[in-house]
Amino acid sequence: MTDHRPLRGPATDKAARRTGAVRISGLSKRYAMGGKAMTVLDDINLSIRPGEFVSIVGPSGCGKSTLLRLIVGLDTDYDGEIRLDDTRVAGTGLERGLVFQDHRLFPWMTVAKNVEVALLNQKLPRDRRERVISEHLALVGLSDFGDAYPHQLSGGMAQRAAIARALANEPKVLALDEPLGALDALTRVKVQAELQRIWMEAGTTMIMVTHDVDEALFLGDRVVVMSPRPGRIARIVDVDLPHPRDRASPLLHRLKDEILAELTREPREDDGTLVTFPGRPRG
Amino acid sequence: MKRLASFALALAFPALVLGWWEWESRQGLGHAYAFAPLEQIARSFLEMLADGRLALHAGASLQRALTALLIGGTIGIVAGVATGLSRVLDRTASPLITVMRQVPILGWLPLVALWFGNGDGAKLLLVSLSAFYPTVLNTQKGMQAIEQRYAEVGRLYGFTRSQSLRMIAWPSALPLIFTGISQALAFAWIATIGVELLFSASAGLGTEMMAAQVAARTDIVLVCVACVGVMGFTLNQLFALLRTRLLRWQPATAK
Repeated sequence: MTDHRPLRGPATDKAARRTGAVRISGLSKRYAMGGKAMTVLDDINLSIRPGEFVSIVGPSGCGKSTLLRLIVGLDTDYDGEIRLDDTRVAGTGLERGLVFQDHRLFPWMTVAKNVEVALLNQKLPRDRRERVISEHLALVGLSDFGDAYPHQLSGGMAQRAAIARALANEPKVLALDEPLGALDALTRVKVQAELQRIWMEAGTTMIMVTHDVDEALFLGDRVVVMSPRPGRIARIVDVDLPHPRDRASPLLHRLKDEILAELTREPREDDGTLVTFPGRPRG
Repeated sequence: MKRLASFALALAFPALVLGWWEWESRQGLGHAYAFAPLEQIARSFLEMLADGRLALHAGASLQRALTALLIGGTIGIVAGVATGLSRVLDRTASPLITVMRQVPILGWLPLVALWFGNGDGAKLLLVSLSAFYPTVLNTQKGMQAIEQRYAEVGRLYGFTRSQSLRMIAWPSALPLIFTGISQALAFAWIATIGVELLFSASAGLGTEMMAAQVAARTDIVLVCVACVGVMGFTLNQLFALLRTRLLRWQPATAK
């Protein structure tokens, strides 16, 4: 494996990586809706190893996106604890990144400038900054598109650019909120393979929310299956298969059947959303 | 071929009007006064072009309009950013601006004449005011419509307040600010001619029009009218080009 970032510390060597552990314990989240308290997440406990890829699947309303927003600190109002390497999460921080479902590149900036946004508050000398930008554009295969504006990119390219931006400041943890949800099926499969390669190269801890069980299994070291109302962890599935993976692996197919069975188990009357599962992006 | 056809179509109506005009001008002396013959208008135009009168007046009007656009537009953008960002300022200043806006520019004329006379300063003040309203309103709207989606990206990367302003709020408001400026440009040009007609003191197309009317020179009035129209049109076109160039990051559908 080539080390694409020789400039910064030894943390880029995946084997030696010690940081990027996420520990979530007793996490609950309530919203007040119309005067009534609604529990979105109920007693979530999850320990994520440094450099691990964790997929989270579950029907709409199971609070999986909320969980990511709490981890990156866009929402800080919760009970329980989220720790990154023993530091309690309180607000956003450069060591935690997020890729949204919509790419959220600034339309008024070129792709390279968008990546630079992540480095604004890092004290890097100019030439080094330029190098980090071009290395990350290369990482996601967009070297020739640094000067393009986001509206000139296809959906898959824009999402790859968003991933480059999110990785540019080398976060210890990268949360991905249905990053491929808006892509067509073919592009999606391609970007999944890209994402696997990027994760293997960067060695960042990744937590990805998805509706797509195939995707969750193809990428995840573990798949967290959540159930809705209130959002709870129903099951955690180990995917004991080395990366890079073969989609045709019988193990993946068996696990898929298990997870689907788990997800469609005893659907409640009030839960029409289960029917649309899997594969539908959040409405 | 298609372009040629649409060009011919665009010329057909003006040609019809000119034909009718020429016909009217030949219906006796009274008519010839109201409808100056085309030939005479053309001769006056060439004459005014040759002796530099046209350039003098057109230049004076243009300078007045653009100076006022600069003054009124700048104050409008600054005020729009301030009221767009601060709720307190919005509450204090916006009602007053909204009420003042109901008064047509020429409605201020008696007061301005009383306070500042009818010199260049008074004209500049009124034209600047006409450029101020559309810029302040559009800038304010643009600054208030900052999308939460982009603000969250700023929070993720630890943007300071000034970084959010420069990298998110300002560029996302820019399309509306440009809309404001292009309206201000059109208003300022119209207001310039208006105040020149009423405050006839120094050079300007409006002043010249007024003088020509007093001297019963309908032909000169018409040369000035045509000149105002063509110049206003050209200014707007030039600004539209500049806007497209500066907002090239916008997808074609948003333009």
